[in-house]
Amino acid sequence: MMLTFVIFGLLFCGSLAWYTDNKSFLGVKFQARWVALVAVITFALIFVFSAYLSPLSFLTLQMITQVSWINSLNINYAIALDHLSITLIILTFFLAVICILVSWGEIQEKSGFYYFNLLATFVGIIGVFSAVDMFLFFFFWEVMLLPMTAIIAIWGHEKRYFAAIKFFIFTQVSSLLMLVAIIAMAYIHQQQIGDLSFSYQDWLSLELNSDIAQYLMLGFFIAFAVKLPSVPLHSWLPDAHTQAPTAGSVLLAGVLLKTGAYGLIRFVLQLFPQASENFAPIAVTLGVVSILYGAKMAFAQTDFKRLVAYSSISHMGFVMLALFSFNEIAYQGVIVTIVAHGLSSAALFSLAGMIYQRIHSRNLSDMGGFWQSAPRMGGFGLAFAAAAFGLPGLANFVGEFLSLVGAYQVFPMMVILAAFGLIGSAIYGMVLFQKTFQGSSLKAVEDLSCRELIISSSLLMLLVILGLYPNLVLQYFRGVIL
Amino acid sequence: MSASPEIANSVILSAEMFIVLSPILLLSFGIVLSLLLIAWRRSQKMISLFTQFILAITLLLTLHLLSGELKVGSGTQITTLLNVDRFSYLSFVLICFSALVVVSLSRSVLKSAVEVHDEYYLLILLVVLGAGILVVSDHFASLFLGFELLSISLVGLVGYFREHKHAVETGFKYLILSATASSFMLLGIAFIYSQTGNLSFAVSSNVMPWSEQPLQVFNSVGILLLFSGIAFKLSLAPFHFWSPDIYQGSPTPITLLMATVSKVAMFTVLIKCCFSQNYFNNESFIEIITVVALLSMLVGNVLALKQQNIKRLMAYSSIAHFGYLLIVLTVSSLQTLEFAWQGALFYLSAYLLANIAIFTVLLISEKNRSNMSEDIHITEWHGLFWKNRLAAVLVIFSILALAGIPLTMGFVGKFYLLNQAVLFKSWWLIAGLVIGSGIGLAYYLPIIFTLFKDDKTLESKGGDGSRVYLIAIGKQLFMFTLLISSLVFGIFPDLVSQFIYR
Repeated sequence: MMLTFVIFGLLFCGSLAWYTDNKSFLGVKFQARWVALVAVITFALIFVFSAYLSPLSFLTLQMITQVSWINSLNINYAIALDHLSITLIILTFFLAVICILVSWGEIQEKSGFYYFNLLATFVGIIGVFSAVDMFLFFFFWEVMLLPMTAIIAIWGHEKRYFAAIKFFIFTQVSSLLMLVAIIAMAYIHQQQIGDLSFSYQDWLSLELNSDIAQYLMLGFFIAFAVKLPSVPLHSWLPDAHTQAPTAGSVLLAGVLLKTGAYGLIRFVLQLFPQASENFAPIAVTLGVVSILYGAKMAFAQTDFKRLVAYSSISHMGFVMLALFSFNEIAYQGVIVTIVAHGLSSAALFSLAGMIYQRIHSRNLSDMGGFWQSAPRMGGFGLAFAAAAFGLPGLANFVGEFLSLVGAYQVFPMMVILAAFGLIGSAIYGMVLFQKTFQGSSLKAVEDLSCRELIISSSLLMLLVILGLYPNLVLQYFRGVIL
Repeated sequence: MSASPEIANSVILSAEMFIVLSPILLLSFGIVLSLLLIAWRRSQKMISLFTQFILAITLLLTLHLLSGELKVGSGTQITTLLNVDRFSYLSFVLICFSALVVVSLSRSVLKSAVEVHDEYYLLILLVVLGAGILVVSDHFASLFLGFELLSISLVGLVGYFREHKHAVETGFKYLILSATASSFMLLGIAFIYSQTGNLSFAVSSNVMPWSEQPLQVFNSVGILLLFSGIAFKLSLAPFHFWSPDIYQGSPTPITLLMATVSKVAMFTVLIKCCFSQNYFNNESFIEIITVVALLSMLVGNVLALKQQNIKRLMAYSSIAHFGYLLIVLTVSSLQTLEFAWQGALFYLSAYLLANIAIFTVLLISEKNRSNMSEDIHITEWHGLFWKNRLAAVLVIFSILALAGIPLTMGFVGKFYLLNQAVLFKSWWLIAGLVIGSGIGLAYYLPIIFTLFKDDKTLESKGGDGSRVYLIAIGKQLFMFTLLISSLVFGIFPDLVSQFIYR
């Protein structure tokens, strides 16, 4: 019940933020950002405590709520949680707070509608992480898309319409393929068991003909590979990330990409184990290509956000590589990479937003020598860049190390190739840092404000904690075999 | 003729048949009454109110009959000509509803002129009667009768404002092409008759002369010609060339009438004809349907990409939508017929609501600007979201529905179609639907973005952009109802499908 309450409560608070923005009630002047912030923190606390206090063991999926929704097609409103979804939802909540804080000063126009969209996106993402009825899953999958597109299209930068359309078409077409696969699965269930079912748990017991399974798996895989993203379906990402407002980029890189990884773990690998194994060589190759291509493209960029966007492609390649090695260590690496990348890319995009607010440019050639005028920002910049290229002691290192170690047992050649990506990441990390903070000082910028300090230090703190003590997350994923 | 005793029996209209047919009878009676009314006193207000009254009563009566204990399945046969079942009633409800909206919206358009427009309302009623005959027809003769009644009344309507720039061109084009289409259809019917010796949909399904053996030449040519006649009305590619021009040239309410009433009626009769004659058992027919559907999806979507005129854009998008809808004709077996009907009706209602919403806002914007002569371009909706929240949200919802995004009815409609296509394993159609929707987004989304754009630049030019939209309370209420109903039906599609199934 509590998750449903959180989902609908967030949506309600979003509408409330829209409605009450800049209006006075009982002498208090409401601002959408405060409403949004209070709502997100409250619901985050509710969620964390009720999950923590819950008597259920979340080692396997635990059904939270199940209400029948569309009777004629046997579709239910069914949500369930396990450790994976809880981890990702907590990550979502954390980044949600960051998102609101980075938009604090940036969004001045139409802020009510902005925070409504932001909260609606959170609702969609939380729904995606918890839905176990596939129709509902698809529903949330699209619901998170719509407000995200609106955020890019209304508050984005100069080429926002193009980026928003590209983002939407890529995700929509691929998700229609997934919808076809979902419907086909439901009818296969009808053939084998006798009734139409969209329930994920019901599908786990199906026995699929290997040919059909291969095609259906592909339907799901394409949808998630677009979101992840993996080469060759990545081209929406640099545009969307670059053109989105700061919070949009943080959200996209921090959580939206993770829905792709989540989908691969939850649906592709679980529903079609055999088909995934057959497909593994291709998927792993795609992963390695993504790693190398993303890294190469990243250090060729002159746009701060675009560089970080390509680095995301590279990092998500590790996820793909590790997932399709079907290995426990690699799987743990995936989990840490997901969380770590969520934090580190969010940090870098927030940094980009802070710089943009000061100099109104994302171009690296307009930057340089910021260290002299803003040493705190420089320090955080160095730490975040180091996190991105996997410096030991920070969370990304743990994730990538575990992924590579796990995958090496299965695909040694591929892992050796992938390891070159780490060199690439060091190069683009340093390029990013040097061009921004070192060199001759072009102009003086203000140092971090108190709010920005909170954002940066909380992100860095988590990166360090997870880097030094990854068990904080890993303890929940011990002994999980794919 | 061998069937003569049956015909002799069924000629008599029993009380039950009378009740079943009463909506159409009432409508015809209303037409006679409005003729008398015109003879008595020519008043714009009175005829408009009377037309709305007739349509509303017919709508209510049909709804009442729907909720009553109506035979499910084969329906009620009324002579050999007509067969009334739940699905025809539902289509008729959709038709009456959209006609009612058209009549209500017409008032603002007609007010601006000096004449008394009795004929206009009369013609609309005749269109609805034609559509009503189509949806209950069970015989090629009644099909043709309804088809002609619909087309000829529409010809009068599309060129109604004769002082308009495109009026003559539009009317003439529609007349010629429509006559050509109906003559094709008539020839097709003749060919079919030459093979089967019967014109009824139902009888031939008992004999099923072509369901087991391959089509003979005359029969297949006949079916092809018949289908092309109907495809013309549905503006399916490659019979679509007329539709953007006619959409653009007609008065906006009439465009809505064509987009909704005429198409819903034609599609219903197409399904009825195909299902009762088991055309779906015939592989070459399915192939033709597949090709036409794929062509329509691609042509409609691709040609819509560069359109800036909203009416033309709607014309192309409707081509694509009827391409998608053709999927329901590819049913695999008799058991899934009901499901196909359900999908078709759901999709049609989603399409209808979306079109009504968009055209309502279009009419409001037409009314709110200075020069009436030119057509509305997308740029005129610049920043509508910040000027008139309700109108803009309604347009956004309708466009999302047309694009098939969840939360809207359009998505559930598309879901039904995909179900149907997966059941029949028609992968080509699925591919077409997916690609078509992808292309479709490329012109649907820019419309939505236009609504969100700031109109600072426009305001400084002193254009129409700065005008505040004035909307009457009644219209606002209507728009609000449309919005809420499309949202509710989109999230709880059971409310509609229960109504269809019962």
